[in-house]
Amino acid sequence: MRRPGISIAVLASLAVAVWLLVIGLPETRRDPSWGVGAILGASFLFAGVVAWRLHPRNRVGLLMVAIGIAWIPQQLSASSEVPPRLVWLALCGLWAALACHLFLAFPTGRLGGRASRIVVGVAYAEAVIFPVAVMLTRTKPAEPLRSIMEFVDDSSWQVLLVTGAAVLGLAMTRWREGSVAQRRAVTPVVAASMIATVAFVAERLVISWGPEDLERPIVYVTFVAFITIPLAYLGSLIRHRIDRARVADLVVTLRDRKQPDGLERALATTLHDPTLRVGYWMADQARYVDAEGHPVTLPPKEHGRVTTRVDQGRSRLAVLLHDEALLEQPLLVEAACAAAALALENERLTADLRARLRQLAASRARMLQWGEAERRKIERDLHDGVQQRLLSVAMTLGLAEATTDPATAGALMGEAKAAVLASLDDLRAVSHGIHPPVLTERGLPGAVKELAAVTPVAVECVIDMVEPLPPAVESAAYYIVNESLANVTKHARAGRAWVRLTRGDGRLMVEVGDDGCGGADPARGSGLEGLIHRAEANGGRLHIDSQEGRGTVLRVMLPCE
Amino acid sequence: MRVAICEDSTLFREGLARLLAEAGFEVVAAVDDADKLLARIGADPPDVAILDIRLPPTHTDEGLRAALTLRRRHPAVGVLVLSQYVRVSYAVELLDGRVEGIGYLLKDRVSDLVEFAAAIRRVGAGGSALDPVVVEQLVSRHRQPDDPLIQLTARERDVLRLMAEGRTNLAIAERLAIAERTVEKHGTSIFGKLGLEAGPHDHRRVLAVLRYLNA
Repeated sequence: MRRPGISIAVLASLAVAVWLLVIGLPETRRDPSWGVGAILGASFLFAGVVAWRLHPRNRVGLLMVAIGIAWIPQQLSASSEVPPRLVWLALCGLWAALACHLFLAFPTGRLGGRASRIVVGVAYAEAVIFPVAVMLTRTKPAEPLRSIMEFVDDSSWQVLLVTGAAVLGLAMTRWREGSVAQRRAVTPVVAASMIATVAFVAERLVISWGPEDLERPIVYVTFVAFITIPLAYLGSLIRHRIDRARVADLVVTLRDRKQPDGLERALATTLHDPTLRVGYWMADQARYVDAEGHPVTLPPKEHGRVTTRVDQGRSRLAVLLHDEALLEQPLLVEAACAAAALALENERLTADLRARLRQLAASRARMLQWGEAERRKIERDLHDGVQQRLLSVAMTLGLAEATTDPATAGALMGEAKAAVLASLDDLRAVSHGIHPPVLTERGLPGAVKELAAVTPVAVECVIDMVEPLPPAVESAAYYIVNESLANVTKHARAGRAWVRLTRGDGRLMVEVGDDGCGGADPARGSGLEGLIHRAEANGGRLHIDSQEGRGTVLRVMLPCE
Repeated sequence: MRVAICEDSTLFREGLARLLAEAGFEVVAAVDDADKLLARIGADPPDVAILDIRLPPTHTDEGLRAALTLRRRHPAVGVLVLSQYVRVSYAVELLDGRVEGIGYLLKDRVSDLVEFAAAIRRVGAGGSALDPVVVEQLVSRHRQPDDPLIQLTARERDVLRLMAEGRTNLAIAERLAIAERTVEKHGTSIFGKLGLEAGPHDHRRVLAVLRYLNA
């Protein structure tokens, strides 16, 4: 972490000393408001230097420094010792325009929206035109310049009123549009700015129209109101420091946390973002889940929501979904994440477990349902097929037995034989449905070769595995190859295809690829969805690479020890 | 003709022995596992060994492996593999490089004694017998519109199937109720269309047809 404290303090104190000694002190003995004015300029300068050094790319610091400098002609113009010159007068309104610019550009340093730019433009124009008009009026110029200048001078308070109202309106709108976390960060400065704006406009109105005995108090009020702006800014900087101290509290909170979403809430509290969500990384499924194991989808780059990745070493831990205002405090986020890293890793493992349990429960339910449906289907097939046929065989044979005509008996026997052969066909289909016989006879390699042999597309088999496999894995792999090759035949319009079985690292990798049309999408075809479920039911993972026109490669990793 | 039977189901083994005796075969051995069969054949080779694919001890592919061993060790003995299921890949393995004296049929085929006996005699005489189901699976792979097989007439495809099953021209002629000359003409036409090198009279034509179908 950078330690800009010393150099900032030196620089800022130097600026303030120059201000107070050179510009403030000589006149203060005669007029106390001089001293307050000097403090105003000095405080902007001080806060400006601090802000500029802390966030060099943010224009807020620059603007505050500019206000501190632009305050000099204003201060001098009120002095009796300094002769009023055109240049001084032309510049002495500039600070107000800069202040207007600062209010509307806070906290990003950029003016958002056309309205803000117009208002700030008008303020700068006012800052130049009005003092000049006032001065020219005093020199009593010739007509028509004189009437024009008098008109400008007279109408200045109306323009000022409108500008002030616009600044208040815009600042208010901007504040209300901000998120909770953003508001929290900007509220002190925005409030001080709004009060200062009101005071400034009131001061001008009093000077133009009001009773003279009100003039001095309102000037003091305005000065003090402006001084609160840099003070509020410095205050919020200090609060950021305090926030970082809260990271220490976070560590304590984490130790006592009991609820699964406790970490998320602790981080939300520490980072002052109630909308903060944590997504835990599941490496082998390449997705995020929440503490309960539900999938977390990262929002697209929409307004106001930002994601920050939390890594530990080289491995990905989690992602924070938070308000973009937090980007203003990268060090705080970093510190909080570092403090919570261990808890995050713990929570990630738990979330991973929960997600797996959830998946397992879902796939178990699916498998039970599927098994039940399969059993019903087998029962129905046996009942409607084999049993009916054998019944008819018995009846036909009974008829043959009863008949006395040898020719009729022969025909009936033939009929019975045909029915028996047909029931054998039925039985073959049923037992194939229960468990593919080829798998029993030849294991997975033989079964895959058989599938390849009956596929219309030329299929190359690369089998690099040691048997035996657990029966469940063997079956799953068989059905995956079977359904994948069926998809190749039906959809891929492929010239060639391949099946690759590789075993290693306690896993069986099943790969089925083709050089066909690609574009396979699990979201569209239920066949692919079935494959995903089959893979998940065996604790595996399915990956499809199927770009339009570039073939399809389907890979399933099945764990098998 | 002398045959040996290897089948673990007593019911089927005894039934088959009775059936074959009825059809005029001499059943020289009826055993229930592959080792016994190999031992008996080593001692007294029959003309044809008939064996099931699933045999003890594991009831997986012992019969198939025993058939391959037999073909290697006793090239003169015809081998007929019977099974509840027929598989293209098994057929390819059994016929690998040599179609003399090999048969692969569904067990169902025993129900047509005349046909079945003819198949055994074909295998015993050095011919081949491939189940129509396997042939059909091989033929049905050739569905692409640009496949030369699509250009065959329906009758030519019938002839091709029967050739692949290992039947002689005379048998094909009887089956389709056409003249043997017509079968020969169809054969020449088929081999021309498919661009096969072996001629329709070549004794290796079964191999040529199967290689084509399995390509």
